Amino acid sequence: MSDEVIWHCLRHNHCSFMAKIETGLFCRNPYNATGICNRSSCPLANSRYATIRDHDGIFYLYMKTAERAHLPNKLWERVKLPRNYEKAMEVIKKHLEHWPELLVHKIKQRLTKMTQYRIRMRRLQLKVREKIMTVPRKKAQRDLQRLEKAEKAAQLEKSIESELMERLRKGVYGGEIHNVPSKQFHTILDMEKDDLAPEIEEEEEGEIEYVEGADIEMGEMEDMEDFQGFSGEDDDGDEDDGLDEPVTMRPKRSGSDIRSKIGRKSTKVITEVNHLFQY
Amino acid sequence: MATTARPLVSVKALDGDMATDAAGVPMPHVMKAPIRPDVITFVHRLVSCNSRQPYAVSRKAGHQTSAESWGTGRAVSRIPRVGGGGTHRAGQGAFGNMCRGGRMFAPTRIWRKWHRRVNVRLRRVAVASALAATAVPAIVTARGHRIESVPEFPLVVSDSAEGIEKTAQAIKVLKQLGAYADAEKAKQSVGIRPGKGKMRNRRYINRKGPLIVYGTEGSKIVKAFRNLPGVDVANVERLNLLDLAPGGHLGRFVIWTESAFKKLDEVYGSFEASSSKKKGFVLPRPKMTNADLGRLINSDEVQSVVKPINKEVKRREARKNPLKNAAAVLKLNPYFGTARRMAVLAEAARVKARKEKINSKRTKLSEEASKIKAAGKAWYQTMISDSDYTEFDVFSKWLGVSQ
Repeated sequence: MSDEVIWHCLRHNHCSFMAKIETGLFCRNPYNATGICNRSSCPLANSRYATIRDHDGIFYLYMKTAERAHLPNKLWERVKLPRNYEKAMEVIKKHLEHWPELLVHKIKQRLTKMTQYRIRMRRLQLKVREKIMTVPRKKAQRDLQRLEKAEKAAQLEKSIESELMERLRKGVYGGEIHNVPSKQFHTILDMEKDDLAPEIEEEEEGEIEYVEGADIEMGEMEDMEDFQGFSGEDDDGDEDDGLDEPVTMRPKRSGSDIRSKIGRKSTKVITEVNHLFQY
Repeated sequence: MATTARPLVSVKALDGDMATDAAGVPMPHVMKAPIRPDVITFVHRLVSCNSRQPYAVSRKAGHQTSAESWGTGRAVSRIPRVGGGGTHRAGQGAFGNMCRGGRMFAPTRIWRKWHRRVNVRLRRVAVASALAATAVPAIVTARGHRIESVPEFPLVVSDSAEGIEKTAQAIKVLKQLGAYADAEKAKQSVGIRPGKGKMRNRRYINRKGPLIVYGTEGSKIVKAFRNLPGVDVANVERLNLLDLAPGGHLGRFVIWTESAFKKLDEVYGSFEASSSKKKGFVLPRPKMTNADLGRLINSDEVQSVVKPINKEVKRREARKNPLKNAAAVLKLNPYFGTARRMAVLAEAARVKARKEKINSKRTKLSEEASKIKAAGKAWYQTMISDSDYTEFDVFSKWLGVSQ
C-alpha cells in the first residue's frame, strides 16, 4: 500500500508508537529521526527513510528502502559512522546523496545533537557525582535502640566500680584511705566515742618510740573529755598531742564538720592597702 | 490495479521439510483490496455486539407490594405507601424509583436490542480490507506486534505446520519463523483485569499475539497452538473480523500455511472474478488506483500543465483616512494639492492686507512717545518678574528661605 494510505491509517486510526502529551505529538518508535509524530518523520509511513541510532557510544546510520519493505528481517541497513564529526558528516552525505533534502537535514541535525550529548555524557562520567543514598530508617532506629540496650546490659558502672574497689583493696592508691570499708569505719568511730575503741595495733617495723609516764596519758584523757564538747579552739593543742603519740588513733572529725567553717579560725588573709597616693 | 504483475510470496520451510524449488505463491488479490479503516471501525463496532448476553432486573422487582397512596390531607407526600401495620415496612413509600425498595427507573428489559445486523457485503468488505492490512508490515508494527525478526511479509509457512500436534513443537516453529517475539510479548502481558470484570468470569487479560490461519479442515495445528496465550487459530474459510482487527485496529500479525494462502483466492475472489465460496462477492475497488499523492503531483503529466509557483506575497495596503491624511485625499482628489496651496497663499495675503489696513488707520505715535511707551512696558516687566531682582540671592539667604 502507498505511504499515504499507511499514514492515514496510523494518524487517524491507531498507532501504538504515538504519544500524545499537552505540548504535542511524539513518536516512540526507536527509528524516528526527530521524535515527533509527523508525516515526514514517521519511519512507518515513509518507505524511504533513514536515522542515526546510538549503540554503546557508537553511532550507526540506518537506512530503509521500499525494495525491502516486505522483508522486516532485513529492512534496516546499518552503516557505522566514524568517531570524527566531520568524517561522519561526509559519510552521511555520501550515503544519502540523492535523498530528499528535508530528511538529510534532519539526520545531520540529529548527528550534531547526538555528538554533543555524547561529549557531555563522557565528561560527566569523569566527574564525581553525588549519589543520593536513602537512609534505611527502620534499620537505623533498630541499631540505635540496640546500642542503648547493649549499654544498659553491659552494666559499665558496676564493672568500673568493682575494678576500682579491687584496686583499692590491692593498695594501688596508697594505704591512706581509712574509711573503706565504711561500715567498720563507722562502728569504730562510734566505739571510740563511747570509749570502747579497741586499740588497733599498727605493725611498725623498726622504730621503737619511748613514751613518758602516766601523766601524759592522764592529760590526754582530760583532753578527750574536752573533745566531747568539741571546741574548735583546741586545734593547736590537739596537734601537739597528736605528734607525741602516734599509737592512739586520732579522733577525726567527720566529713561534714571538717567542711563547715563554723568556729574555725578565719583563714582569710587580711591585707591593708594604703590609698594615700592617688594618681 | 496491476493484477497482472503479482508479487510472489515465498513459502518458509520448517525443519525437516524437503527442500523445494518452488518459486513461491502469487499474492492473492485480497491483499490488494483497499484498506478502509472507516469501514472496519463501523463493522467492528456492530459485530462486537453480536456475542452479548442479555441482562435485566427481575420483572417483578419493586412491585411485590400492595401499596396504595394515602391521598391528600395527611401531611405526607402522595407516594403509594405500604398498608398494614406492626412492622417497619408499614407506611413506607413503595413503587417509585426514589423509594427505598422501590422499582428502579426504567427497569432493564431483556427485549432490548442486543445484536446488530450488518450487511453481508459490508461484512465481507471489512474482512477483505482487514486482510489487506495484515499484508502491510508498517500497519502491523503500528498495531504493536513485534515483527522485527520475521523474514518475509506476509508470512507463509509450508503445510507441514498443519501436522504439528505438540505445543512444544509449535513454540519451536514460531521461534524458527522469528515470530516468537510476538507470542512471548503476549505471554508476558498476562495480568488481572482492572474493574468488576474480575469477578464476572473475565479475570485475566493479555495482549494479542499472532493469528495462525490454516487451510485444511481438521488439522491438528489447532490443538497445538490453542494453549499459547495470545495466539489464535482460524480456518481460512471462516475468518473473523474480530480476530483480524482486534479492538477495531487494523493489522493483526497473521501466519499463513501454504494451503490457506492458496485458498484465499477461492474464498475472496478477485476484482473481476467473483469468489466461488461467497456467492456474487467481488472485491471492492478503491476510489483511487494510485493513492500516492506525492507521486501524482510530482509526475510529469501534472507538472507539465501546472503554472509555476508564485512565491511573492501580495500584502494588503493599510487604509488611510482621507479626512485626516493628506496623501490619502490626494489619491482621491488630485486637485486637492493646488487647492490647498492656493488657499494657504490667499489666507496669508489676506492677513497681511488686513494688518496693513489697520496700521494705516491707526494714529501713528511720534518717536518720542513710542520710546516712552516702550520704557514703561519694560519697567512693568521688571516689576512682575522675580528673576530680575539682582540681589535676590542675598535676600533669600537673609530670609533663610530657599526658592
